[in-house]
Amino acid sequence: MDIATSRNGLRALRAFFAFLVVFLYAPIAVLVIFSFNNSVVISFPLSGFTLRWYEQFLSNPSLLHALRTSVIVATLSSCVTVALGVLASIAIVRRRLVAKSAISALLLSPLVIPYVVFGISLLVLFRVIDKVLAPTLGIVIGTGIHAIVIGHVVVSLPYAMLTLVPRLERISVSLEEAARDLGAGGIETFRRVTLPLIFPSVVSAFLIAFTLSFDEYAIASFVAGQDATYPIYLFSQLRVAFLFPQLLAVSSIVLVVSLLLVLATEIGRRRTERKFEGEVGRIIL
Amino acid sequence: MAELAAGELTQVLAPRRRTWPGTLGLLSGPLLWLVVFFLLPIVIVGAYSVGALSLLPSDVPGGLEIWRRFLSGQSIYLGLFWKSVRMALTASVIVVLLAYPIAYFLALCVKKRKYVLLLLVIAPFLTSYLLRVLAWKVILGDRGVINSLLYFVHLRQPDHPISWLLYSQFAVILVLSYVWVPFVALPIFVSLDNLDRSILEAANDLGASRWKVFWRVTFRLSLPGVIAAFVFVFIPTLGEFVTPLLVGGTSGFMYGNAISDLFTQGLDWRTGSVLAIFLLGVVALLLALFGRFLQVRRIGAA
Repeated sequence: MDIATSRNGLRALRAFFAFLVVFLYAPIAVLVIFSFNNSVVISFPLSGFTLRWYEQFLSNPSLLHALRTSVIVATLSSCVTVALGVLASIAIVRRRLVAKSAISALLLSPLVIPYVVFGISLLVLFRVIDKVLAPTLGIVIGTGIHAIVIGHVVVSLPYAMLTLVPRLERISVSLEEAARDLGAGGIETFRRVTLPLIFPSVVSAFLIAFTLSFDEYAIASFVAGQDATYPIYLFSQLRVAFLFPQLLAVSSIVLVVSLLLVLATEIGRRRTERKFEGEVGRIIL
Repeated sequence: MAELAAGELTQVLAPRRRTWPGTLGLLSGPLLWLVVFFLLPIVIVGAYSVGALSLLPSDVPGGLEIWRRFLSGQSIYLGLFWKSVRMALTASVIVVLLAYPIAYFLALCVKKRKYVLLLLVIAPFLTSYLLRVLAWKVILGDRGVINSLLYFVHLRQPDHPISWLLYSQFAVILVLSYVWVPFVALPIFVSLDNLDRSILEAANDLGASRWKVFWRVTFRLSLPGVIAAFVFVFIPTLGEFVTPLLVGGTSGFMYGNAISDLFTQGLDWRTGSVLAIFLLGVVALLLALFGRFLQVRRIGAA
């Protein structure tokens, strides 16, 4: 007999699983369905299929501008995050560190900070910087894109670490040692041995950081200044009834694209993982 | 000498090779970033909250007075904090109750395509948080999907919507549960999946019924995962302010909203800093109590 469940128990669990999947995806489906609905009012009954919300948002300059700002912020912050994440994870995995546990704790600590607390802290930091620099050097940095990027790098760095460190740990150090024995320097070893081996994780770290940043409202709302990102624009326009269907249209695109991206990278990662595992195994044996 | 391990031997024999870039070179970037942009701002907010510096023209030289008023419950904020604790606790319990059967099903009952199904559950978490909350605003409103569906099938009159669906504590707790279920299924799944099945079989062979095996073996062994999951939801939920802002209305107003409002609208940054540092202290306390259950590394590997 199966110890985990009885036959009826299994049936109940299966039904519950199906219910939960519906619960998880139904709101997303609702968002997408109503973005094609031919009515400003978001309610039943549906009043016919239309693409006009999609056409309208494509000719809404402030929305497009906010989207562009978000793409810039997300690209910058995910690039910096991945660079810092790779450096830190190599140090954590490959080097002997004095205060290893303290250092990894610091690197992971942004995971648990409430975003509202971090957001106001960054705002205060930039206020202090201006308060010091303005009278002495006459420079006012203020808040804006740079501040959002800085904040997003801080909160995405732990996710990058959690993706990169396990991968790096599974790659035998002897591969890197072999490259060095054959005369490769530190940089060359990294570029031609380590990086290709951790590449799938680098890609997923990049995508995690990108989606986190693209979607992030809490921190950005404090330090965005005049540079409205897409979530900030979305929030500010929610009360405008005639804009709402447009927002649904953009949201549907963002949701579906990010969902597909997640699935594609995950499948891709598992596939290369399997392939790599085989190859590395053979090389070591 | 014969006892020398192979690793030590190579270290003795091999010429000390200088590794480049040095460890300091690798770590200085990431550490500097976190110290300057993460630790330093928090320290400044802490100093600011006790009146060690002033930033706004409107700043009153309050010193510890604001702390005293907050902690003694003379301002509204301590009550708001406890309300948020209750809401966060409710949401966390619901999330774990929803996620546990799912994790159990995937870890112990499914044989084929276990990871595909797990991905199906987790994938929504990796998409836009904001938009998943927004979707509920569409669903729960007075003229939203649920209410308009009820009018449509004549279960309710259009002038009598179920109005507690949106802008209520119910809405906040529902949406927070919705948002966190996929994330929480993961640590519970990992702890159940790593379970040694022969222990369950042994308990069964010794005459325990399925329920007994579950309650006295499986559940006990998955407890670290459950606690980790619980804390992982509770902490961010306690400081949440985006969800209440979208679906909470006035009755769903939370502690995080108060902090945000003090900085963006009330311009009483000093009080806001006191609230923020207090929340941070609570989080630190929770981590000190439950930190050993949070094996983030294992969660990341899954």
